[in-house]
Amino acid sequence: MKYRVRHRCRLSYRQPVRDARLNLRLEPVAWPGQLVSGFSLNTDPLPAERNDHPGPYCVNISSLAFREPVQQLEVVSAFEAAVSPPPLPAATPAVAALRELAQEERALGNLSPAAYLYGSHIATIDEEIGAWAAPHLDPERPMLEAARALTTTIHREFAYDSVATHSGTLPAEAFTKRSGVCQDFAQVLLVALRTHGLPAAYVSGYLRTLPPPGGERLVGADAMHAWAAVWCGAEAGWIGLDPTNDCLAREDHIVVAMGRDYADVAPVDGVFVGSSVQATKFGVDVVPIG
Amino acid sequence: MESQIADLFGPDPGEDPLAYYTGDPQADLFLASPAGVAASWRGFVSGLARQSDGQLAQVQAQLDRHVDELGLAFRLTGDVKERPWPLGPVPILIGAAEWAGIEDGLVQRAELLEAVIADLYGEQSLVTGGHLPAAMVSGSPHYARRMVGLPPRGGHHLKVYAVDLARGPTGEWRVLADRVRLTMGVGYALENRQALGRATGGLLAAAGVRRQSDFFDALREGIAADCSRSEPRIALLTPGRFNQSYPEQALLARHLGFSLVEGRDLVVREGRLFVRTIAGLKRIDALWRWINTQGIDPLNFDTRSRIGVPGLLSACESGELAVANWMGAGVVESRAMAAFLPRLCLRLLGEPLRLPNAATWWCGGRAEREYVLAHLDELVLSSSFRTPVALLPGGTTRPGASLSAQERTQLRGAMARRAIDYSAQEIIPLSTTPCLVGNHLEPRSFTLRAFLARDAFGAWQVLPGGLGRVSQQGDLRTSLMGLGDLSCDVGIVDQPGMEQPAAQAAPGPPAVRRAQGLLPSQAADNLYWFGRYAERCNETARVARTLLEEASGPQADGGGGTVDRLARLLSRWGAAPFWAGPLGAAEAALGDEEQTGSAPAHDARLRSLALLLRDRLSRDAWRALHRPPPGFTSGSAESLIAAADAWIERSAALMRLIADTMSRSEAWRFLDLGHSIERASLVLQAVQELAAPGARSEALSALLDLIDAQALYRSRYLALPHAVPVIDLALLDPLQPRGLIFSARRILQHAEALPGFRQDGRADSPLRLARSIYATIEGLEAESVGAAVLDDLLGRLAQLSDAIGRRYFLQETRPPPRDGGVLLG
Repeated sequence: MKYRVRHRCRLSYRQPVRDARLNLRLEPVAWPGQLVSGFSLNTDPLPAERNDHPGPYCVNISSLAFREPVQQLEVVSAFEAAVSPPPLPAATPAVAALRELAQEERALGNLSPAAYLYGSHIATIDEEIGAWAAPHLDPERPMLEAARALTTTIHREFAYDSVATHSGTLPAEAFTKRSGVCQDFAQVLLVALRTHGLPAAYVSGYLRTLPPPGGERLVGADAMHAWAAVWCGAEAGWIGLDPTNDCLAREDHIVVAMGRDYADVAPVDGVFVGSSVQATKFGVDVVPIG
Repeated sequence: MESQIADLFGPDPGEDPLAYYTGDPQADLFLASPAGVAASWRGFVSGLARQSDGQLAQVQAQLDRHVDELGLAFRLTGDVKERPWPLGPVPILIGAAEWAGIEDGLVQRAELLEAVIADLYGEQSLVTGGHLPAAMVSGSPHYARRMVGLPPRGGHHLKVYAVDLARGPTGEWRVLADRVRLTMGVGYALENRQALGRATGGLLAAAGVRRQSDFFDALREGIAADCSRSEPRIALLTPGRFNQSYPEQALLARHLGFSLVEGRDLVVREGRLFVRTIAGLKRIDALWRWINTQGIDPLNFDTRSRIGVPGLLSACESGELAVANWMGAGVVESRAMAAFLPRLCLRLLGEPLRLPNAATWWCGGRAEREYVLAHLDELVLSSSFRTPVALLPGGTTRPGASLSAQERTQLRGAMARRAIDYSAQEIIPLSTTPCLVGNHLEPRSFTLRAFLARDAFGAWQVLPGGLGRVSQQGDLRTSLMGLGDLSCDVGIVDQPGMEQPAAQAAPGPPAVRRAQGLLPSQAADNLYWFGRYAERCNETARVARTLLEEASGPQADGGGGTVDRLARLLSRWGAAPFWAGPLGAAEAALGDEEQTGSAPAHDARLRSLALLLRDRLSRDAWRALHRPPPGFTSGSAESLIAAADAWIERSAALMRLIADTMSRSEAWRFLDLGHSIERASLVLQAVQELAAPGARSEALSALLDLIDAQALYRSRYLALPHAVPVIDLALLDPLQPRGLIFSARRILQHAEALPGFRQDGRADSPLRLARSIYATIEGLEAESVGAAVLDDLLGRLAQLSDAIGRRYFLQETRPPPRDGGVLLG
């Protein structure tokens, strides 16, 4: 599947802010089965300094520094992506075996399981979530099957509610409320897996906006989307699980970045002098082009 | 004869307190020490006994006083106020031969850790080769992935390093923990030596204890090494005054001549780091950071950090900034790392570890996990990466034997899922050292924190000595100091005949320099307000004193409302509530800290500013500031007057102590500027209240009191006070130091001497305002001074103060980092 993606957003401030330094994480990383071309990132006003670099974890960062005060900032990113996910593995190792495999991998890189085994500031190891997930994670059960069952459970037990949580909500809180948005569902899923010593990551990206003929429109398609990924062994690698839509992340999902939690891949963050954002407008178009 | 008595009755315990010291002959450091070293112990302790006429307890009291005067303090986690630093008078003495072995092992370990860090942030061959499990590395919260492929200029990730050592019961030394993020304690070691040296005269030198100054020179030069400029400017980056070891950081900065800065003092522009000073941005070449990697740069590490410098990393990337230690070095601090070091040492250095660490098992390995579960009772269980985990919610350690049956089941469950989070260590019994308990010496267990630094050539130097910790009970494996712990100096004793080598061929004296150190805007701000509050404290006490004297004088009715006028002045300054009545107002002004303008309230502000200025205040000033504030008997005018006298002396002495010892630098100018502006403004307000048209001579006389000009007036006029001559004295007489024009001239002198920013040669606004204020006052005649003139001058002084703030001080307070979540659906 081939898509044209255009992501536009406008940040407005009550008062002009000074010395703004922003990190934008909008350029898709290299990802198996995904070919990105023609990426462009433009801002108005233009920054005084811009430095594009790969970040820690699987993420591309554009660091912008503004010298002049900024009252309104418009960011437009666009690219084309051809998505053809590698075939799913016929079988994945059992949960207990996978735990050992993950620890035996001799790699520290951005795609290594070791990088996604431990709690982070947002996604801390959580015994309660772990206990809740335990029935699905039988040591002998194949990894992907177990993770997929957990994904369905979240979809069934959690309510999609865009006002129940915000971007700073911790997984434990979303878990207690049993509600939230894509970000919360993804983080609950990965915390559940990590608490059992299984490598799991947070993925940000886009969904196709319009459903295929006869299909249902996916939830989360009008903005950036988030899901989780679980490591299924050296051969199968990372497989995306979308608890919001109760599916695997395949042809309809375009990966932008992968990290331990939301903070590692936040589309924009930074520091500046002045009052905080007053209003944000954004729009995402993900158009199939063949 | 004397020797015969000694032979008959044994040595007098008053002369040799160690004569009857008993302990385990092998495990006790003193009892096990070779003859020469034991003689040094005896010599030192007998010296202490002689100095105190056999009353060793007095030595402790004397030492406490020196500690206090040095301003040594620390906080335990959760403390709001600082505690006095607990220092015992008996040092730990180690013979040169034994120390040489320790030194050797420490240097090897430093090289080893450097090699491990360099690999983990470079090739990662230790991981790909299977010598170090990847999960052992990624589990550390201090493994900074951002730093991979970003080596320091000069190649040294580590420049300062601290090691906790324990001596076992058979005399072997072992490493308990490595500290590379924060070498807490190095400043305390320095001050322990200074305090002990002052309290005991030449005893340390007589015992042959090796000096330590060379180490701190090496540390300074090592941090300055690898800078791109030949005369680098170095700063110590502190998390701020609420940090546990802030006092230590301040004294290190002062001792080493580094600028003490916080994140908000610094700014990155085009790949270079600058400090905001009163003369604009000044480049910083090297940082000694006392902030964790995660907190040091909100743009590149943890976005939530409020203490870091946005973009700091880009100055490192461009090679324009040296940082000690390099970001990410903390990865080797994991408890679990010790399990791998013996093998890594063979691999990386090709030799065995010379100084063993406590045997450690990382439960990530299946065999290790099984061993630990089977031998739990003999081990100390710990969190591999010092993070909170099940059963160890504080991320600390716990003796395995203390786990209940239920907890053991819980541990098995947790290990089945996340064994990687757990490690275990053998229990190391500690040996003992003589410790003063009351009047006697008793054996107490101890640990030693040793410190290493790279010198100018990158070679490791070990501080001869370190920070000793002696404990009555409790776990010495915790942070810096626990409750009930005592610290002590550690001395390395050179045996007779192998005196310490003379300092390496001295490189010749440094070139004479008179340049002032740089003055960060924030420090200037603090100095300015220190000057203002000190003066306000002084004036408040003066007004209270004059009020009390007027009220208890012959004209107790108040002499034409003079007492009421003075009370009004106090209430106008916020020193007393307006309903307090005259005596109540004086009492509030002198004793009620709740009143924002009272003397004790100003005093509290001075003390909190002093914390921020710690690296600039002399010891005497520090001591004066921390004397207990004057007290009084409520309702007793006599006692209140004595208290007012004491407040006046206290604040005046403080200013003198500071001003007398401060070089006439820009720092001093800001202090004096604050002082003069405050004095000018207060005298104007006093004139408004006391010399208003129709004021009676009693009120004018009170004004003369306030400006200390009673005698001068009498000698000049031989008459009752009249408004015009009194106003002339208070405002226009250039020789009257408490008068307005005197202060205005000082203000102008300072404004002229401070750096200007403007390129066009025109005056900055503080200078313009100072000139206009001085010119106005010079042009006044006492007869024409009315309410409008006074109001106008007060207004312009306030404008001047604002202009100084805008021009020289930090304006920016950073809001919490912005949340990017707004973009997400």
